[in-house]
Amino acid sequence: MGRVLDDVTVLDLTRQFCTALSAAFLGDFGARVIRLDLLPAPPAGTSGRWNHEADLIHRNKLSVAINPSSPRGRGVLAALLAKADVIVTDWQRNELAAIGLDYASASQVRPDIVFARLSGFGPAGPDQDLPAIDELAAARTGAMPMLPQPGQPPVYTGAGAMHATGQLAFGVVTALLHRMTSGEGQQVDVSLFGANMYGSALDMQAFLAIGHGDRLLNPISRLDVSNPMSGSVYMSADGRWVTLTMPDTDRWWPAFSGIVGIASDDARFDTHDKRTAVNRLALIGELEERFRAQSAHHWRRLFQEKQLSADIIEQFDYPANDPGACANRYILELDHPSFGKVRTLGFPIWVSDSPARLERLAPCVGQHTDQVLHELLGYSRQSIHELADAGVLA
Amino acid sequence: MAKALEGVRVIDLTVWFQGPVSAQYLADFGAEVIKVERPQGGDQGRGVRSIKSLEIGDWNQYFLVINRNKKGIAVDLKKPEGQEILYRLVEKSDVFLSNLAPEMLDGWNLSYDKLSAINPRLVYATNTGYGRFSKLTKPSFDMTVQALTGIMARLGEPGQPPIYLGMGSGDAYGGVMSALGIVLALYECRRTGKGQSIDASLYGAQLYLAAQHLQAYLAGNMDSALQHSRRQVENPLWNLYPTTGKWVYLCEPNEDERFAALCRALGQPAVLAERRFADAARRRQDNEALVAAIEAETLKHGHEELMAAFRGAGLVASPVNNFADVVRDEQAWQNRYFMKTYCEEVRREVDIRGLPVTLSKTPGEVHCLGPQLGQDTELLLMDLLGYEWEQIEDLKAKGAIP
Repeated sequence: MGRVLDDVTVLDLTRQFCTALSAAFLGDFGARVIRLDLLPAPPAGTSGRWNHEADLIHRNKLSVAINPSSPRGRGVLAALLAKADVIVTDWQRNELAAIGLDYASASQVRPDIVFARLSGFGPAGPDQDLPAIDELAAARTGAMPMLPQPGQPPVYTGAGAMHATGQLAFGVVTALLHRMTSGEGQQVDVSLFGANMYGSALDMQAFLAIGHGDRLLNPISRLDVSNPMSGSVYMSADGRWVTLTMPDTDRWWPAFSGIVGIASDDARFDTHDKRTAVNRLALIGELEERFRAQSAHHWRRLFQEKQLSADIIEQFDYPANDPGACANRYILELDHPSFGKVRTLGFPIWVSDSPARLERLAPCVGQHTDQVLHELLGYSRQSIHELADAGVLA
Repeated sequence: MAKALEGVRVIDLTVWFQGPVSAQYLADFGAEVIKVERPQGGDQGRGVRSIKSLEIGDWNQYFLVINRNKKGIAVDLKKPEGQEILYRLVEKSDVFLSNLAPEMLDGWNLSYDKLSAINPRLVYATNTGYGRFSKLTKPSFDMTVQALTGIMARLGEPGQPPIYLGMGSGDAYGGVMSALGIVLALYECRRTGKGQSIDASLYGAQLYLAAQHLQAYLAGNMDSALQHSRRQVENPLWNLYPTTGKWVYLCEPNEDERFAALCRALGQPAVLAERRFADAARRRQDNEALVAAIEAETLKHGHEELMAAFRGAGLVASPVNNFADVVRDEQAWQNRYFMKTYCEEVRREVDIRGLPVTLSKTPGEVHCLGPQLGQDTELLLMDLLGYEWEQIEDLKAKGAIP
């Protein structure tokens, strides 16, 4: 079995969850990802509990600990850069320039570097150097006020940052494809602002096209949805929520009306137009009452039996106990050296011949400093010891 | 300017949103994407206006934007002659992408085994609902799959209904994951000369979307599955606050110096000077009281006034905008997150979502909106696939093409 990116070396200079995960994703598919842990290192947590977050976002990485403030430390950074194909970072531009890892400096050492950076608001425009904070970007992107029920506070979902994770990795691999044919590297920018826009893609595009509309600016009550059979939620007898997505109601009505106990030829609801326009509120009212009469379990069984596009809204216990999540390796079970059998998030994509792999958990700070300097950069053991003694490495 | 995916030909047999938006990522960066549709009605996304699940303007922005930069052919894949056309296309293509059910593709003789026998370099991508190895078999749409992941149930104030992340939110994420899987497989193919099969499901993508919170849950933090109130955030300096106008999102660490700046911005109200808020630990301990105290102050102002005071004190914050604000946001236009392009349907320039991934030397482009159903059928059959005109007439007579 192949490993897609095993000819690619990535330098990971990240602070945020979403960008560290993006670098880990490249590692999952075989890239050699070297995490730069800059000294002085922050004190390590010693809670005695599993650092589950680190073992997700730093899996499959090597760690090199360097102090970038000395000339010799900068020398090691430059040597690493010379071996790198990709940088993934979420640092501000001035911070990168201060340690010689901005694009201008990096591309002098490696003209074909793929330089991938998460920004807050994009590489151009007046706000290009605002901090990369997902909440700021989400607040500015416009979807937050319309997500909850009317009268409720706006909702921050965090989905924008996760879009950035995927988009940044997509940008890197696309740029690597271009480099393969042209020999040319370049900058990849994904911003939390742009990523949030793709998270709320359809509603935003609707507003762009229409230019007005209360239903795209304000929350819509669940009892006032445009289509009672799509995007709607109803409560079951045991207090759980049922959701329906059957947008083309003509297709689904015969089977659906049967399970909720409405005659399929009920004259109030016998056309799509009646269901979604003329008698929309009446249908919502009927469904609200009928769903409340039976348990979630009952509804799920019928949805499955009739092959309807509808389900129960679950909590994390569902995927955690779902054999399908394991069968697809979306969730993995592993033997942790310190914590025994644990489950961890797996891989979002299945690739048949060169699948993602979990080869190692998060490294300790500086765990691979000696190895990388010796094997990759060709430093002698002697000079590595000297650099360590001088506090340049750890 | 050079295009990153120049020379990559993609067969796009997709409908609705996840598959089309996945191919859109590839088309934006220069891949030649050929959208294959059934002759009768085509992609269901063409019919959204009547469905009323989504607001549609005087042009079909749902279909036209995610199918931009694509060519279009119409083929009846239920007919052997139609399948034959697709096989010829497979010979000439790098990628086959579909979000139709794998059983349906098998039924039309379009399985991975069949197509990779024709072209061993082919990257064969599916977008399923629950993954290729799931036993669940039922229709899967964005929201019904999102419902199973647990993402929705942890959002919103306690006791409120779960929160859907937005129309098409799961499809959008499944779409970028699919595009990512495809470029990975293309990279591998350029190195080894071998294609392979990939799958990006709505379920898998959205479990990854939940990464931070699902991982915590898997590690035993049951609380991460539940709704949390903004009145009880651990750090009251990183929170949503109401004003007489829009809400404001304040994003500051719980540090004395930042808290002092907040007190300054709010005019040094006596309540915030109380001892119980004097250091980070106490602010965390008495978080509910502090949120209430800050909120009482922010409610005395409009959002513009409050933002001015926050800026004056050097605090990081943003008003919570709506879409009417963001479509006017210069920052979005300058970065080409929004663009203008010509729309045949209404014969004028329209505003569209642009390019969320910025490549400095091979930037994406939008040169046209989605194709008319089958607009390039005859041309592609002749020029690309080498059919003679008589054969095309024959295919029309048999109903394989319109």
